[in-house]
Amino acid sequence: MSGTYWRSQRQIDGDPEFQTLQEREFPEGASEPPDGITRRDLMTLLGASLSLAGLSACRRPIEHIVPYVTPPEEIIPGVPRFYATTMPFGRSAYGLIVESHEGRPTKIEGNPVHPSTLGASSVRTQASVLGLYDPDRSQHVLLSGQPKSWADFTAAWAAIEKTHLQDGGAGLALLTESFASPTLARLAAAFRARFPKATWATWEPVSDENALEGLRRAAGRPLDAVLRVERARVILSLDADLFATDPESILHARGFSAGRKTGADGGEMNRLYAVEAVFSPTGIMADHRLRLATSRIPGFLMALAQALAAADAALGGRLAALGLQSQGATAPDGEARAFLQAVAGDLVAAKGKGLIAIGPRQPPEAHAAVAALNVALGNAGETVIYKEPAEAAVASGSAFASLVAAMRGGAVKTLVILGGNPVYSAPADLEFGAAMKKVPVGIVLGDAVDETSALATWHVPRAHFLESWGDARAFGGTLSVVQPLILPLYGGKSAVETLGLLATGKDAPGYDLVRDTWKPLLGAADFERHWSRVLHDGLFAGSETAAVVPAIAGRPLQDLARAAADGAGDGFELVFQPSAAIHDGRYANDSWLQELPDPITKVVWDNPALLSPATARSLGVANEDLVRIDSGGRSLTLPAFVVPGQADGTVVLTLGYGRTGSGRVGNGAGFDAGALRTMTALGLAKGARVTRAGGTYDLASTQEHGSMEGHPIILEAPVEEFRAHPEFAQEAAGEDRDEALFTEKTYDKGHQWGMSIDLNRCVGCNACMVACQSENNVPVVGRIQVRKGRVMHWIRVDRYFTGDPEGTPQAVVQPVPCMQCENAPCEQVCPVAATVHDEEGLNVMVYNRCIGTRYCSNNCPYKVRRFNFFNFTKDTPESLKLAQNPDVTVRARGVMEKCTYCVQRINAGKIDAKLHGRELKDGDIKTACQQACPAEAITFGDLRLADSQVAKTKKDPRNYGLLNELHTRPRTTYLARLRNPHPSLAAKGAAEGGHA
Amino acid sequence: MAQILPPWSNRLPLAGALAAGLGGVAVVGFFWYFGSPRFTDVGYQPTQPVPYSHRLHAGELGLDCRYCHASVEVSAVANVPPTAACMNCHRVVKRDSEKLAPIRDSAASGRPMRWVRVHELPDFAYFAHNVHVAAGIGCVTCHGRIDEMEVVTQMQPLSMGWCLDCHRNPGPNRRPVSEVTNMKWTPPKDAAALAARLQTERPVHPPTTCSGCHR
Repeated sequence: MSGTYWRSQRQIDGDPEFQTLQEREFPEGASEPPDGITRRDLMTLLGASLSLAGLSACRRPIEHIVPYVTPPEEIIPGVPRFYATTMPFGRSAYGLIVESHEGRPTKIEGNPVHPSTLGASSVRTQASVLGLYDPDRSQHVLLSGQPKSWADFTAAWAAIEKTHLQDGGAGLALLTESFASPTLARLAAAFRARFPKATWATWEPVSDENALEGLRRAAGRPLDAVLRVERARVILSLDADLFATDPESILHARGFSAGRKTGADGGEMNRLYAVEAVFSPTGIMADHRLRLATSRIPGFLMALAQALAAADAALGGRLAALGLQSQGATAPDGEARAFLQAVAGDLVAAKGKGLIAIGPRQPPEAHAAVAALNVALGNAGETVIYKEPAEAAVASGSAFASLVAAMRGGAVKTLVILGGNPVYSAPADLEFGAAMKKVPVGIVLGDAVDETSALATWHVPRAHFLESWGDARAFGGTLSVVQPLILPLYGGKSAVETLGLLATGKDAPGYDLVRDTWKPLLGAADFERHWSRVLHDGLFAGSETAAVVPAIAGRPLQDLARAAADGAGDGFELVFQPSAAIHDGRYANDSWLQELPDPITKVVWDNPALLSPATARSLGVANEDLVRIDSGGRSLTLPAFVVPGQADGTVVLTLGYGRTGSGRVGNGAGFDAGALRTMTALGLAKGARVTRAGGTYDLASTQEHGSMEGHPIILEAPVEEFRAHPEFAQEAAGEDRDEALFTEKTYDKGHQWGMSIDLNRCVGCNACMVACQSENNVPVVGRIQVRKGRVMHWIRVDRYFTGDPEGTPQAVVQPVPCMQCENAPCEQVCPVAATVHDEEGLNVMVYNRCIGTRYCSNNCPYKVRRFNFFNFTKDTPESLKLAQNPDVTVRARGVMEKCTYCVQRINAGKIDAKLHGRELKDGDIKTACQQACPAEAITFGDLRLADSQVAKTKKDPRNYGLLNELHTRPRTTYLARLRNPHPSLAAKGAAEGGHA
Repeated sequence: MAQILPPWSNRLPLAGALAAGLGGVAVVGFFWYFGSPRFTDVGYQPTQPVPYSHRLHAGELGLDCRYCHASVEVSAVANVPPTAACMNCHRVVKRDSEKLAPIRDSAASGRPMRWVRVHELPDFAYFAHNVHVAAGIGCVTCHGRIDEMEVVTQMQPLSMGWCLDCHRNPGPNRRPVSEVTNMKWTPPKDAAALAARLQTERPVHPPTTCSGCHR
C-alpha cells in the first residue's frame, strides 16, 4: 500500500476542479437560489417581503390547544411511548422498538432482545418510518383507476370467486413476494385447499433462490445458511455483500465487529478475505481483497478446494469423495496464487472457526460447493448454521416464468398480485407488462399506484407494517408479531387481510386472522397472557427453528468444475446488484434513502454504471460520460462512474432506479438497469458490449465533499505492529500544539459528554446517517442541491481509498459528525454568538440567533457544519411532518445547523434521572447514531465517570483526535483501525499514515 | 449682501446633536419598554371558547391544579384537560348551563375543544413542567394567582432573561414539593434557611447555557 489516502479518481488525476472544490467551503454558486432567480432578484424580493414582515409581526400569533375529548388511557401528552413490532423484509424480519408521540410513530430502533437486530438497525429499518407517511402512497381502492371502496372490492371478489370455485381455480393465479409468516402460510394453505387448481408463484427481483437451490443439490433439501460471523476467526467472502445489501447485514456487522474488538483488546483478531468484482463494504473491511470477475469466482472456488486438499491430506480425501479432481481448475496467477495459499492455509488451521460465505449472484453449483466445504471443514453447526425455511414462500424464477407464459397464453383469467411490482422488476425478456394486459382481471395489492397497479383492474392500497397486524419469522426462525402503531392512514389493507379474503371468502380483520394462527402456537390455556407477553417483548421466546447438519450427498465439487469451466467468455460481464439504500426499487420513493450516499461511490439519487479505471480508460470514458450497454439484444444508456478496485471488464449496474410509477421522489431518479436483465441472467450477464455513447450526465456524489486535505485523518496499522508499538496512532496524529488565542475554559464539573468512534469496527453501512436524519429532522435537498454541496446530513461517512488505483486499492471508512471541540474554531468567528459552549462541553448551535454569515462553517476544519440554504423544510408535505421529532427544532432557511450530540436525548435522560431522584448511569443516554450502529462502533457518555465506556475508550492507545495539531481539543475522537494481514501477504499490505 | 446664515445658526449643530442624542435615547427607551415581553405579553388575556373560571374552580371549590392538569408531574407539558374531565362533574352539575354548551357539544360529537394558549413560548424553547415541579417551583411562580383569576391572564413576561434570573438563583423561588400547587403558600420568615435545606435535600443545578432549553 502506498502511504496516501485519496477520495476519488479525480483527486488521483489531479483534476483542477477537485482542487477548486477543496479550496472553497461551499462550491461555486452554492449561494445561488435554484431555478434561475439570481441572488440579486432574491434580495429584491426579500427586501419587499421584509418591509411587509415588519407589520405582520405586530400581531400576536394565536395558538390553540386541542386536548383529547376522551383521552386514551395509556397516553400522557408529551411523553413518548415505545412499542415492539416487526418489520418483515422478504424471508427476513427485523424486531423493532418504535417510538410513538401521541399516537404517531416517529422513530425506529432495533429491539435489544430480538435476535434479528439485537437493538441495532439498518438503513432500511430506520427509513421505514418515512415510508409510512409517504404522501404518494395510494389512498383508495381503485377499479380501473376510479376510486371505489373496500366493500366494493369484496363484493366484486365474491362474484369473481364464484366462477373459480366451480372449476377449482383453474384460471386463478396468485403472485406473491417471498415471506416467512405463520399466518400467511396458514392462509396460503387454505387458499390452495379452496382452489386446488390455482397457480401460485413467488417472485423476488433479488432473491436467494440460488442459495436454496445449491443447498438442495448438496444436502437433498433447501436449507438457509445462517452465518454466525462472531464465531469465525477466518472469513472468506466470495462475492458476498455481508454488511450492506444482505438482508442479515445487522447481524453480520455485529458479529464481524465483535471479532475486530477481540483483536484490538489483545485477543485473536478475525481475518476477512474478500474475493469480489464489485467493491462492497465487505471489501472495505477485508484484510485481503482479491478483485476477480464475478464469472470467475466458481473457478476460484475450484482452485480453493484443490488448495485445501493440498494443505490437509485427510481433508483432501473427504473432498475427493465429494468429487474433487486434482486437475481442472485454471491455475491462478501470481497475486491470486499467494492469496489462495494464504486463505487455504488459514481455513485449514481454523477448522470449525472458519467461514466461507458466498453471495446470492453465484450459481447454485457454487453454493453447493461452499456448503460442502463448510461441512468438510467442520464449520457447519459452528460458524454457519443450516436451517430449513419454515412457513415461508420461497422465490422461484421458474414458477414465475411459467406463470407469465400461462398469462400470455390466456390461461390465467384472474391474477392476484399480493405486493411486489413485477411490471417494473420482472426480467425484461418476460415482458410481464404485456402478459398482464392479456389477463382479464388483475387484482393488485400495492403500496402506490405503481407500474403494476397502473395495469390492474382492481388496485387495493397496501397497509404499511406500522399500520397492520401480521407476523413473521426472522431468518433464524424466531417468531414475532407485526403490531400496528397507528390505524391505516389511507385505508390500506394488509397482505394478511387480502389473502384472508381470498382464502376464506370472508372479510376478517387482520387482528383476528393473526390471533387465530397464534392460538395453537401459544396454547389455548392462558392464551391472552402469553399473547400479551409476545406483543410486549416483541418476540416469541424459544421459537427459533432447529439447526440441521446437512449430509452432503452427490458430488458437488464435480458439478462445480462444470460451472467453473463455463468461464468468463468474451465481452464485458454485467453484474446486477440491489441498491444498498432502495433495494430493488421498493423504497425508491423514500427521500432519506435516495439521498443516502452509496457506501462506495457516494453517489446519491442515481445509479451510474460502475467501471474500473482500466476499463474506463480502454473505453475512453470518464465519470459522467454516457455509455451504451448492449446485452442480449437490449440496450441501455447511462452515465459511467469509475470505481478503483473493481474488477476489469466488469460493469456493475444497480437495480431499483429509473422508476416511473413510484411517486414524486423516485420517478426519474436514475436508470432502469432491469431493462438489461433476463431470466437466465438475473445477477450476472456475460458477453455484453459497452460503447461510449457521447454526451454527459450530471451525477451528484458527496465523495469529494468536506475533504480535509493533507492531514493524518485515517490512522491504521497491522495488528502485529500495533502490539509492538501501541502508541502508533497518537504519534502519527501529531502533537497538540497547545496554542490558544483566548483563555481556555476548563470543564471539570457536572457531566462532560464525549464520543469515540472505533474505525476498527465501523463497516460503513450508513445506518447512523439515516438514524440521525430521523432523530434530528434533517431535511433532504435533492440531487441538484447535492451537486452544489448543500447536502444536510449531520453525520457523514467518508470513504478513502489507499494503494494502487489501478490495482487493488484498499478502502477505509470514517463517520464524521461534529467533533464538539472544546476550543472550537467556529465559536471564535461567530459575530452574533450563535454558536457557543455549554457547561457540559457541547458546542451548541442557537438557531434563533444565527444570521447566516457562514463564518463558522468556513472556520470549521472538519467541515461538519451544514447550512440551510433554502427553506428545505417549509415545503415538507403535511403527512411527512408527522414523521418529525417533536423534541427537535425544525430549522428554517438561513440558519446553520450541525450535530448536537442529540442534546434532546441528553436533556430527556437528565430530566428522567431527576424525576426519579437518581444519578445518571453510563448508558442511560444514547445518541441516535450510537443506538443505530450495528457494529457498536460509536460510544457516547460522560467523560468524568471514570468507569464509563467512553472514558475507557479515551484511554485506549488507539485513541486519537482528528487534526490534533490544531488544538481544537475535540470531544469526539477516533480509535485507529487495525488490519490483520496474513503474514505471507503482509509484505505489501503494511500500512502507514499520510494523506494525499 | 446679508449673510445667508444668521449668527444663531452657529448653535444649530449643537442643538441638532442634542436632539439626535435625546431622540436616540427616546427611540431605544421606547422599544426597551414597549417592545419587551414585560409590556407586550404580560396581561395577555384571550377570550376562551368557554368562560371557564379558575377563581371558581381552583379558588372557591378548591380543586387541585393536578385534577385537570394531570400530566404536570410526569410530562414536559401540563395538559389542558380533555372534554371528559369537564364532563366528570358537569354530567350532573350545571347540566343546562348555556355557557357549557360547547363542552357538551364536544363530548357528544367527539370534536375536541380549541382552547386559546395563554402562556406561549417560542417553538425553539423547550420548557419541561415535570422537572420544575420536581424542583419545587410553585405553579404560582410562573402563572400567578390563578385561583383569583376569572379569566386566565399572563402575569410574567416568560422571556429568556426572566427565566435566567431564576436559573441563576433558584433558591428564593423554591418551596417544598408538597406545596407546589398551593396557591396561598408564603415563604417562611427564614426563607434563606428553607432554600439551603431544599438545596441539600434535593440539589438542583439549573442550566444557564443555551442547550438547557434550546434543542
